[in-house]
Amino acid sequence: MNWDLFAVASLAGAANWAFRALPILARTDRMAPGGWLERFLSATGPAAIATLFAASILPALVPDFLRLLPVATGILAVLATFLARRSVALAALAGALVHGVTVWLFV
Amino acid sequence: MSPTQPLFRDGLLASLPIVMGYLPISFSFGVAATRAGFSVTDAFALSLVIYAGASQFLALALLASGTPVLVAAFTLIAMNLRHLLYGPALMREAGSAATRRHAWAWAWGLTDEVFGQALGALARGQRFSEAYMFGLGLGAYAAWVLGTVAGALAGGSVLDGWPALGAGLGFLLPSLFLALLLSISSRRQLPVIAVAGVATVAGTLAVSATSGILLGMLAGALTGLSRR
Repeated sequence: MNWDLFAVASLAGAANWAFRALPILARTDRMAPGGWLERFLSATGPAAIATLFAASILPALVPDFLRLLPVATGILAVLATFLARRSVALAALAGALVHGVTVWLFV
Repeated sequence: MSPTQPLFRDGLLASLPIVMGYLPISFSFGVAATRAGFSVTDAFALSLVIYAGASQFLALALLASGTPVLVAAFTLIAMNLRHLLYGPALMREAGSAATRRHAWAWAWGLTDEVFGQALGALARGQRFSEAYMFGLGLGAYAAWVLGTVAGALAGGSVLDGWPALGAGLGFLLPSLFLALLLSISSRRQLPVIAVAGVATVAGTLAVSATSGILLGMLAGALTGLSRR
């Protein structure tokens, strides 16, 4: 066992639990309907997921057509599959599959 | 719309899409961990104790480069600050009558994808239940830990001869986030999504990836304040 790793994992894991559980236990969602905190929190879900998508796709966006092509086909596959089947899993797997196949064929 | 409270097995079934997404990603993490010189036990411990995909990959990079323990820990903690927002956003959607007696346990499973799936189910009219949250979270957690161990046992060189497979596995995370985004998006949330995306890119390019993530989430959520 790597003890530095264990210390980092324990600190980060404890913080993760606190971030995930304590706001629920403290009932921080109780607020006036239509109030500023409610509007803020209702926007956090889409904002968080949009942010994570942007952060995860950004390193792949380089000015090189051959490296952009698999990214574009992967994104199109996610969009097309989700619109056709409304399934998060199928759309995500289709995106990864088409991305990998494009890399295999063209890169 | 479901008139009854969803059960544990409903949550477990609902976790299948996440399981299918997590297995290859966590497998990649296990492979990356052994490639960085960590043991199977180390990889298993990281997934079991941290359970946050992106920050685990970051942890490998920090620890392998000899970053001091406290600096590495606080970097990971800052990266996961966004999780503060998930519980309140989920419980707001669940309604004031929703029970939370066992939230100290099921909330551990509130990863990005579990949060997105649970929020999407509530937005589609499903009722909230803690049993469902346990099922959803447990399926995803088990897949994450098992996938990590499988990847670590397979070893660091397993994908060397399969670059296209490696590329496809690497694209699973953005694919999953995009699919989750599509599942919870609505026309009224478009300004929030656009601002979050632009702020993430700006923050990442100007400062760092972690700053971009925090700035994107904050700017998107603040955009929600301006709408009535």
